[in-house]
Amino acid sequence: MFDSIFTEGDALVSDMGNRYEIIRKLGEGGQGTVYEVEDSNGEKHALKWYFKKFATDKQKNIVENLVRLGAPNSTFLWPEDIIYGEDNDSVFRFSVGAFGYVMPLRPPNYRGIIDLMKRRAEPSFKNLCKAAFSLTKGYERLHEMGLAYGDISFGNLFFDPNSGEVLICDNDNASYSNEEMSVYGTPRFMAPEIVIGKARASRNTDLFSLSVLLFNIFMLSHPLEGEQEVKIKCMDIPAMNRIYGHNPVFIFDPKNSTNRPVTGVHDNALIYWELYPARLRELFTKAFTIGLKEPQRRVTEKEWKTALANMAFGITPCSCGAENFYDMQAVQSGKVLTCWNSQCRKQLTTPSVFTCGKNQAVLQKGAILYSHHINNDYDIDTVVGTVVQNPNNPNLWGIRNDSKTNWTYIKADGTQIPVAPGKSAMIVKGAKLNFGLDIGTFI
Amino acid sequence: MAGLKRPGGELSSRPLHFIWMVDCSGSMFGEKIGTVNHAIQDTIPEMLDAANNNPYAQLLVRTLRFSDGASWVTTTPTKIEEFAWSDLEADGVTNLGAALNLLSAQLTIPPMSDRALPPVIVLLSDGQPTDDYKTELSKLLSLPWGKKAVRIAIAIGGDADKEVLAEFTGNKELVLEAKNREMLVKMIKWASTAASMVSSPASQSVDRESTAVTDSDTPLMVDLDTLPSLGADDADVW
Repeated sequence: MFDSIFTEGDALVSDMGNRYEIIRKLGEGGQGTVYEVEDSNGEKHALKWYFKKFATDKQKNIVENLVRLGAPNSTFLWPEDIIYGEDNDSVFRFSVGAFGYVMPLRPPNYRGIIDLMKRRAEPSFKNLCKAAFSLTKGYERLHEMGLAYGDISFGNLFFDPNSGEVLICDNDNASYSNEEMSVYGTPRFMAPEIVIGKARASRNTDLFSLSVLLFNIFMLSHPLEGEQEVKIKCMDIPAMNRIYGHNPVFIFDPKNSTNRPVTGVHDNALIYWELYPARLRELFTKAFTIGLKEPQRRVTEKEWKTALANMAFGITPCSCGAENFYDMQAVQSGKVLTCWNSQCRKQLTTPSVFTCGKNQAVLQKGAILYSHHINNDYDIDTVVGTVVQNPNNPNLWGIRNDSKTNWTYIKADGTQIPVAPGKSAMIVKGAKLNFGLDIGTFI
Repeated sequence: MAGLKRPGGELSSRPLHFIWMVDCSGSMFGEKIGTVNHAIQDTIPEMLDAANNNPYAQLLVRTLRFSDGASWVTTTPTKIEEFAWSDLEADGVTNLGAALNLLSAQLTIPPMSDRALPPVIVLLSDGQPTDDYKTELSKLLSLPWGKKAVRIAIAIGGDADKEVLAEFTGNKELVLEAKNREMLVKMIKWASTAASMVSSPASQSVDRESTAVTDSDTPLMVDLDTLPSLGADDADVW
């Protein structure tokens, strides 16, 4: 039977000569069975063993190449070793060509995106933004290596609701060219040109799937499911092909109102759209208007990352407990920000904000500035500054230089004061900080 | 300060009606009905798991039995979380027509909602209908939900009338022939996954085949999307 190729205690030897012991079966996917295995050092890994139908030479070449390349960064559960059936023939009666690969095991604190969709995992907005940022960065790394992922969807991504860290799995479809690509993608995430049979999965179709995934994550709804979907009684393949392929219309398309969200069905879309900053709405609008028809003009990872970082570091807490997003565009156009919580709706006090180039951060007690904020390098791990209270006057706030380089503080009157590492610069509207490469402003 | 939960609800989903339609005629007595009872009961935890991992469908399950006449074993569509299998007894003739008649009544709007996923109907039979099934079948297929339903049949043993079952499924490939006990169990298991395949199609492989895979190491797979009757013509959108 298919569900008992390996049993507990079976030992396997990999291509690199490592020995793995089967601990238990973890699950079965579309292409194979996943087992928990232990190496000779007692470390746990996962083993994906392909069903015969999927253990093709093409698949083998892809996996061998991925093992050679090594993981792009720590967000990937990347193939790290291969086990061939024939190398283990003395133990098992494998058919020729059977194989599987070893990858890191997903820690238990990581949850699936479906848990998020079904409200079984409830991250804060901040962690949601961080997760979205990290997953975008992960797919970007693959694209930088010249690979396309081919199948961005709910099923192959995990996140820690308490930290916003992500893990990307099922990397065994990642390919250099669309001819090599062994998948079309997952319905509801596939780019329209794939749905209508005009294209294969590629980097540009990844960008479309990424925007669908981000929309789902933030809006808990689908960008193309509005009135058109409600009018369809039976949601089957022809219906999906129409909505996602032949006649896709963004539910918030500014020029086409034929597919608006319907109250009672698409409530999430209606609740969330105005809750996020204008920049996110602009990007979603671009992704699902221009991006529907022009694969080369889709929203890029960097555009998403800039917006997502600004959201993650732009959260303004309300006294009711709700996390609100600072919306610079709204503030600049004179709009008053109010709390989204329908029980509260309080006007939000405008916080002090630090801005440097395209990047910004709300400066509340304990807020941290990362390298990205001053260097525009998308590094949100390296700390460069912390918001601190003046020990002599608690009403005065400053940013402590936690970086290794000197900054220059430029007062509103033009006076310049050096800020050495460990020293703080006072947060005053209109004052600036010169970091060498770029100048930041307090607003 | 305690954070306030993000607003809104779950991703919106649609009901998916899954119906086991089981031949309980005398010829099913013994090993066949025993295997069916056990195998279907065995699929429940897996169906529940699959439903938990499917954000698009609210899975509702029911059982319809037929022998001398037909009756709903589960009277109302039951959430998979609450569904329990009641063992079926085999005795009598094969009134498939009576069962199709009951099915048609349930696939009419109302009681069917006008917004759903395609219903999945799995017919298990080992013989030939003993009543006028043709009239009832054409009635069922004249209903939009009847036509849209994914109809799968499992022919148990060599005496099952595969022609009749193919009339029901509308497609020979959806008539699975269970020549022995092991195959029957495997096919029931596969059929139980049809709900997920219909509502939350997985990643689409480039080298896919529409025929059932029977390798010993591979779960039974029929790619529903590639079957002509479920083709992707926009004129079929209802």
